[in-house]
Amino acid sequence: MSVTSRPAHYGFAEHWLPRLVLAPSFLLVLVFLYGFIAWNGALSFTASRLLPNYEWVGLAQYEALFASERWWVAVHNLFIFGVLFIGGAMAVGIVLAILLDQKIRLEGALRTIYLYPLALSFIVTGTAWGWMLNPGLGLEKLMHDWGYAGFSFDWLVNPDRSIYTIVIAGIWQSSGFVMALFLAGLRGIDDSIIKAAQIDGASLPRIYWRIILPAMRPVFFSTLMILAHIAIKSFDLVMALTGGGPGFSSDLPATFMYQMAFTRGQMGLGAASAMMMLVTVSAVVVPYLYSELRRSRHV
Amino acid sequence: MGALAIKNVTKRFGDTHILKGIDIHVDSGEFLILVGPSGCGKSTLMNIIAGLESPSGGEVHIADRIVNDVAPKDRDIAMVFQSYALYPTMNVRQNIAFGLETRGVPKKEQDEVIARVAKMLQMDHLLDRKPGQLSGGQRQRVAMGRALARNPKLFLFDEPLSNLDAKLRVEMRTEIKQLHHRLKTTIVYVTHDQIEAMTLGDKIAVMKDGVIQQFGSPQQIYDTPANLFVAGFIGSPSMNFIPAHLASEGGVIGVSLQSGDAACFAPLLDSQRYAAYVGKRVIVGVRPEQWDLAADGGGLACKINLTEPTGPDTIVFTQINGIEVQARLHPRDARSPGSVLHLRPDMSKAVLFDPETEIRIG
Repeated sequence: MSVTSRPAHYGFAEHWLPRLVLAPSFLLVLVFLYGFIAWNGALSFTASRLLPNYEWVGLAQYEALFASERWWVAVHNLFIFGVLFIGGAMAVGIVLAILLDQKIRLEGALRTIYLYPLALSFIVTGTAWGWMLNPGLGLEKLMHDWGYAGFSFDWLVNPDRSIYTIVIAGIWQSSGFVMALFLAGLRGIDDSIIKAAQIDGASLPRIYWRIILPAMRPVFFSTLMILAHIAIKSFDLVMALTGGGPGFSSDLPATFMYQMAFTRGQMGLGAASAMMMLVTVSAVVVPYLYSELRRSRHV
Repeated sequence: MGALAIKNVTKRFGDTHILKGIDIHVDSGEFLILVGPSGCGKSTLMNIIAGLESPSGGEVHIADRIVNDVAPKDRDIAMVFQSYALYPTMNVRQNIAFGLETRGVPKKEQDEVIARVAKMLQMDHLLDRKPGQLSGGQRQRVAMGRALARNPKLFLFDEPLSNLDAKLRVEMRTEIKQLHHRLKTTIVYVTHDQIEAMTLGDKIAVMKDGVIQQFGSPQQIYDTPANLFVAGFIGSPSMNFIPAHLASEGGVIGVSLQSGDAACFAPLLDSQRYAAYVGKRVIVGVRPEQWDLAADGGGLACKINLTEPTGPDTIVFTQINGIEVQARLHPRDARSPGSVLHLRPDMSKAVLFDPETEIRIG
């Protein structure tokens, strides 16, 4: 190290300046992120109702949570939404990326068009799809006006189907983003690999299936991570599109938490559900971060 | 039998003409080199032979069959790429097997082929590794193995050694040549390296701007280059181009050379073929090794500006007729910069070019 040959005051600045610069944001993150997580954790063990109090009740809130039908509807919905949303956005995104990768004209324009929904907030997406899927206002009314009187599309107001409308809107919003990620990955593939496979006699679908998509594994995992955490914390889309309804048929854990903690005066229960979400997200993210960090240390 | 024939092949993208009428004929078992600076169209020509691009005009024949409309996989060819183009997620064994598998070769036969190829290229120990775990030279070997797995009518090598370091490149060059001797398969080999071209090829096509400048054996191209470009491109250090007047002295046609205050008249051998150019300006091409020390004190007294010892030879830099000339001498004959050497060009090997058309005269 050449540090020893430098003047002493230079070493002092070099030593303390980075810490000084980083300290404010470090403090803010420590208090407002980890501090509040800890506070929320503490509240989940109390009998807090409209306002926080510190009457310790042990695991009672968690017991109440697991006994709540509404919570299990929300968890069940999260499962449906998560699987269909991640799978759907991934499938649509990959297909779009492969189609766009065929050296077509106007690629730049098309890419922007497909990516654009990402620029909208989930609130706008939810509101717009709410209008389109509203039987008295959108698609169903349009078809009726055109003379197809038998046409029916009432998923938005059907308690058994309402969660799927959220899936549709979510896929519409996110598949362009998946497309952009995969397109970048596809562009990273050496052209001569495709040529080699052509000479080897492989058809285009086979080249994608056997050679190119397997090479996309890192992109696949990054996309999965991003979509998974979008799915788990989904809140605004549900609020704008269905408001969790009809009834609580399209509740997700995030809307459940919001309802309990801030509108129904069940803050302890809300805190407990928030902790459950934190655990779920951690279960997804921590192994990923661990493997990523371990890999970068080895490189 | 013709292994490969290219007849008046052209290629253009819009108004850009990449290939302007290429004609090549290669016999079975020959080693053809396509050489030229980057952008000369050699890789495009290679892709057209492989069927990865289609020509705008002309015909491509492989084994006496027109293949213009035949898909790459049905052309009975195998190709080695500059970037090796190994399938990144498959191990070496799967890389070699992929093409066989696509063609529906039974598993047992696949294993036999893999064993044969691995033995031939001495890469048994690499079979279960992924391309990412291999060194550049090993990847090169695997890429060749993949091409060897089938017994194609035509091997295509697209600058296969460009990504290797200098030492490995020389080793692999020898190995490719040995492989060709053993297999006797026709090879088309694209390179921008004139040493690879000279050492490997049976036939060389020197290309520039989408046109074949010269097509012939390495020795033909070296001894009688068709034009200034070919003469300058092949050979290292490259040929000296000395501008001079062609004059007739006492019935002998030759050129006068001048270095500093010294001058001499260098008569040309078999000089009557240059008769039409007497009195005109020409460019005399003399390769660095075609200079001899005139021990008798004759020749041209040249002042040495610089020397570059290479070990076996020393390159001596001097000034003749206003341009810098390099002469390759035995180290014991070379003198230090500043001293004077009597040099004599071997005019029997010199070639003359027309300065206007840049084409060889006579």
